[in-house]
Order: sequence, then C-alpha cells, then structure tokens
Amino acid sequence: MTANATARPLNPQRDVFNQRLPLVIVIMVIVSGALLLRMLSFQQLAPEVLNELRPDYDREVRLAAARGLVYDHNGQRLAVNTLEYRIGVSPNLVSDPPRTARLLATILGIDELEVFRAVTSTAVWELLASRVPAEIGQQVEQLKNDGQLLAVTIEKIPRRSYPQGTLGAQLLGFVGGDLKGYYGVEGRFQDQIAGRAREEIVSDIPFAVPNDTEPDRGADIYLTIDRDIQFLVESQLALAVDQTGATGGTIIVMNPRNGNILGMASWPSFDPNAFLTADVEAWRNPAISDEYEPGSVLKVLTVAAGIEAGTITPNWTYNDQGRLDICGVPVLNWDRRAYGVVDTTGLLVNSLNVGAGTIALEMGPNSFYAMMSRFGMGRLTGINLAAEADGTMLTMGDPEWSQSNLCTNAFGQGIAVTPLQLVTAVSAIANDGLMMQPNVVERIVDGDQIIWSQPTALGRPISADTAHTVRDMMVQVVNQGLDEGARLSGYTVAGKTGTAEIPIPTGYRTDRFIMSFIGFLPADDPQVIVLVKLDEPTSGNWASQVAAPVFRQLAERLVILLEIPPDAVRQALIEQGGAVNAIQR
Amino acid sequence: MTSNPIQHTFRNRQFKVQRQVVALAALGLFVAIIIGALYLAQSTSLATLGRQLENLIAQRNLLEQQNEQLREEIAQLRTVPRLLARAQELGFREATLNDIEPLVLAGYNPNRPSDEIVLAAAAAPPPVVYEENFIGWLQQQWDAFIGQFQGFATS
Repeated sequence: MTANATARPLNPQRDVFNQRLPLVIVIMVIVSGALLLRMLSFQQLAPEVLNELRPDYDREVRLAAARGLVYDHNGQRLAVNTLEYRIGVSPNLVSDPPRTARLLATILGIDELEVFRAVTSTAVWELLASRVPAEIGQQVEQLKNDGQLLAVTIEKIPRRSYPQGTLGAQLLGFVGGDLKGYYGVEGRFQDQIAGRAREEIVSDIPFAVPNDTEPDRGADIYLTIDRDIQFLVESQLALAVDQTGATGGTIIVMNPRNGNILGMASWPSFDPNAFLTADVEAWRNPAISDEYEPGSVLKVLTVAAGIEAGTITPNWTYNDQGRLDICGVPVLNWDRRAYGVVDTTGLLVNSLNVGAGTIALEMGPNSFYAMMSRFGMGRLTGINLAAEADGTMLTMGDPEWSQSNLCTNAFGQGIAVTPLQLVTAVSAIANDGLMMQPNVVERIVDGDQIIWSQPTALGRPISADTAHTVRDMMVQVVNQGLDEGARLSGYTVAGKTGTAEIPIPTGYRTDRFIMSFIGFLPADDPQVIVLVKLDEPTSGNWASQVAAPVFRQLAERLVILLEIPPDAVRQALIEQGGAVNAIQR
Repeated sequence: MTSNPIQHTFRNRQFKVQRQVVALAALGLFVAIIIGALYLAQSTSLATLGRQLENLIAQRNLLEQQNEQLREEIAQLRTVPRLLARAQELGFREATLNDIEPLVLAGYNPNRPSDEIVLAAAAAPPPVVYEENFIGWLQQQWDAFIGQFQGFATS
C-alpha cells in the first residue's frame, strides 16, 4: 500500500460543498432574520398600517353610555334605566312558518294569523312588535339562542323609566327618544347624567380575547327632594285644586336654612313615562318658569325693605284714609275701608294696600327697587333646574315705568315673580336675613367621586334684626289677622296671604284671582317654608279662605314627617341642651 | 455491478452522512415541533378562554339587566300610593298630631357631638396594562413567571 493510497482521496465535489456551505448558512441566517424581523414588525406595526389592516377583521361599535340614576334624599329611585325590545323577523329564513307564528304570537300576545302573514311575506324583513317589555324580549331572545327562532331579529332599545309614576315629574323632566334629557333635572344635568358614548373595536377573529364591552355610566344624582314630602305636596295640591275649583296651582316646600327644596309640585302635571301623550305645556315646571303677580304676599318684603332702609320703624304709623291718590292711579284697600292710624304690624295684619304704597312712596323708587333687587326680584335664583324664568320688575329706567308702578309694586301688583323667587325672597326673613340659593341636588355620584352641594348664600338683603321684626309681624298676621286659617295647634306660624288680580291686556280681571299663602314654622327657629298658590279658585273670594287652610293641612303632615316637635317640647329641649335642628336636609 | 439503481447510487455517493448535522437538524425539528405544539396549545387555550369570557360577559350583562329590571320593579312596588293602600288594608291609618305625644328625656341633648370613625380605604394597586405586542406579551409571561415564584416563596 502506497502513501498515496492511505491519503485522503481527492473529492472535488466535497470541496465545492465545503466552500458553498458557509454561504448557504449566511443566506439562510439572513432570510431567517428577515422573516423574524417581519414577524416582529407585524407585532409593532405603525398605527396607520394597522388601521389599513383592521377593517378586515375588526369593526367599530358605538357603546352608548348608561344614563345615571336619579334618587331622592333617602335613596329612593326616581329615574332608572330599562330596556325595551324591537322584534322583527326575516321571512326567507323561517323554516317552519306555522310553528314560528304560534310561538311568537303566544309570547308577544299578538294575533297568530297576523304573525303568520308576517313570517310568510315576501319582504326581506317584517316588524312584529316595535316596543315590548324586557321580560318578553328576553323570552324571545332565549328561544333564539336555543335555535328555535333563528329568523327573528331582536333589537334592544334603552328606555328611561320613572317608577314613581307622576311623582316629581316637572322636577325630574324626561328623556326623549333621542336619549337626551329635557326639562327639570334630566335637562339641567344632561351632560353629567348621560355620560359619554365610547367607540369600541370588536374583533371578529375567533382567537381574539373579547374586550369587556361594558358601557360607560353617567353620574347618579341624589336630590334634596324627600319622596314622602313630595307625595304629600302633590296629593295636597291635587286635593286643593279639586276642592277649590282652581285651574292650577303650585306648592313649594323649602328649608330656609340651606335653600334645599324638599318638595315642589304644580298642577296640572304629566307622566314622564308617557310624556308624548301629555300636553306640551305640562312639561314645564310652573314653580320656576311661570311668572305671576303675587299680590299682598309682597307686602312683607315692602315692610322689610322699609325697615332695612331706615324709612320706617316697627312703631311707624300712618293715617289710613282707605285711598291713596298721589300715585297716578288710585290705590284702595282690599275692602275699600279706611283704617285710620295704623302701625306697621297693623298694616300687615290687615293687609293694607294704602299702607304699602305709602311706604314705597316714602322710600322713593331708588331705595325701593334697590331693596327689591336685593330680595332677588327680576333675577334668576340660579336653582339647578332647567328653564327658570327671571320674573319682571320695571324700574325707573324702563320706558314703561311710571310713578304708579312704585305704589302698586309695593303690594304686589305690576311686578311678576316666579313662585320660587317669592319663596327665596321670603326665606331671607325666616333665615335671619340671609337669603339662600334654592337647590334640588344634594350630591352627584360619579364613579368614586362624590360631589356634595354646598349651601350658597345669594346675599343678605336685610339684617337679622329686621328679619326678626318682620317675622314677629308675620306671626301676628296669622295669630290676629285675616290668615287665622293657617294656624297650627302647638306651633307658631309666620305667614302672609296674597289675593292677586290677574293682568289682562286691558287691565285686570275682576272675577278671578290667584290666591296664595306663604308661611314658615316654627317661627322662632324656622325649619320649613311653604308657598301655596292656587290659580283662579272658585270656592272663596280671599286667599285667607282658600290658600291658608291648604297650608295648615299641609303643615300638619309636614311637622310629623319632618319630626318637628311642638313649641313647648322644643322649648323644654332647648332648656336642657340646645335648639332642635332635626332636619339636616 | 449491481442491478439495484439505489444501491448503485448510494455506493457511488460523493458525500457521507454527517451524524452531527443530522443530529442538529433532528434537534431543530424537535424543538420546532415542541414550539409549534406549545403555540397551538396556547392558541387553543386562548380561543377557549375568549369564548368563555364572551359567554361570561353576556351572562353578566343579562344579569345586570335583570337586576336593573328587578330594582325598577321594587321601586314600583314601593311607591307611596301602593304602600299607603297596603297599610290601609292592614288596618293602619296616618298618624295625626293628636296621636303623637313627644317626650322630653331629662338630660337628653339632641345636638350632642357624635363620635365618627373614619375608615381609611385600602388603596388597591392599579392593574398592570401590557402593550398588545410581542414585547408586551413577553413582559406578561415574564411577570407571570416571576409572580409564580413570588407566590411560591410567600406561601
């Protein structure tokens, strides 16, 4: 064997293989790297490229936000969300028309023949029921999921429901078909309650993990309204309208200490669950939107203004001749009588127009209107409800103003207020001169965030001394005056009636009036102020006969619901611990 | 010379099977199969979970909806007119002022200060949000892996 024989034989192919192998490896590594990079690039694609790719697999759905709920002060639900179902059918997909018709007719409660016609029609789609309650819709949905009603289409329609029916309708407002709130709390807090709709990408890829498509939720609103008080107010108003033959009316119950509205109702009202069937006018809240001339109730503000401005004192007197002729129009007392020398209390007790006009004349227009403006006349109270009116008060600069306005405004004629404006103004007398902004929202709960309403003072139109003085006069009005119908056994009530003429283009109506009573109790520590206003009642000629008894009936129930003890008990409690402020509403 | 062309071909082959390369290729193939199997298992499990999640979400939505309906029904059943009617059926009547006799307890102060205990809510750590890409997935796997060890260590 030669050396050459043991040596490695020449293998040119192997050499070529060995030479090319590194090149192949390099190429494969490069290709693999490129593939890897491509794979990674898919993971982190530019958004515009992703958007280009997405339409194939993803679709965008709009999730309407669930509307926030509305509760009363005690957490009773006043407005909730529910669903209704729109049921339709695609006839060309129905495999067994008689059975489908029988099933649907039974569940939906409609004629089987009608359903049969629908499921056998040549149309692409037929509507079976436009709005069915959720429980029925869910039955249909269940059968569809079980494969029994595959041809049926089910569409969920969100609906706002008011489980208390007509209770607080004008306060709450309603939600229209466009899911927007109108009037009342629904309208005023639309942005907060409605929440925000969300666009969501939903993937059609079976491997994709579904997103939690729960919609956003609007804020819940807790009102200062007490459902029981609201019911009491509404039932008393309905009873009063029925008994007095009035065409309408308003009652407002407010806590003068913080401006919280405890109850607010007007007649006629409507059912927010069926707002479309109601008269459009009934949607408005007359308590904040309708202006009227308040009549003699305004005399308490005139007297308070006179005392505060220093024009008169509680001991001020004037000679009442039953007529005032220096105003441009003759001003007469309600009974056309002359009362002789009368002091300030006597003016209020006997509700004398001449006396009120005299005070306004002595004050002069500048001082009088400045004081009325401080009481909020002609200005919005700023209550957190939609569609508030600001009232009408002509002043010296207005072209339509004349000297006669000064005299008549003093006893509530020629000046228009909303019921809420009047309550707010008189509440300053009840609250030691401090006028609080009326408020219907106690707190707004937005997820984890709770926003509490804080009592807001609109101003101090009169001092505490003036307020106490006028308050004592109002007590005399109830105890000694014409308004004895408002007296409540065991409680001291301060109040004043108003029998107001109704303006018409040619003057004032002489056959119909607006009768009202405003009062608060307990007079020494007022916890509730109530305005009763009845439009054109026919059961009596004066508010003292018509409105004051309604106040008493309401107050009798209110002191029980609000747990306000009689004066004697309160005094005993005060002696051993302090004032009773049972209601922190 | 043999008549079998395959034997002939192999006999005349110009290369030898290199066991190392074959072993590496086999190993590579094996790893690829394992990774593929893992990927398939992961995808299947993900799809199943997705489906289950979808069902759970649908179930939750239905329950919430039914809950809301029940709440509405409760609110309707608890309206004042209905409660009043029911109370009257049971023989109750509205209390009047004459029915109520307030009592003054000696020494009782309704405005006494009340002790209020404020409980501080424990702040839950915010959930970790991962990017929906490869890096995010890796991060999620890594965190889950570390979490398992931490759970094991603390248990």
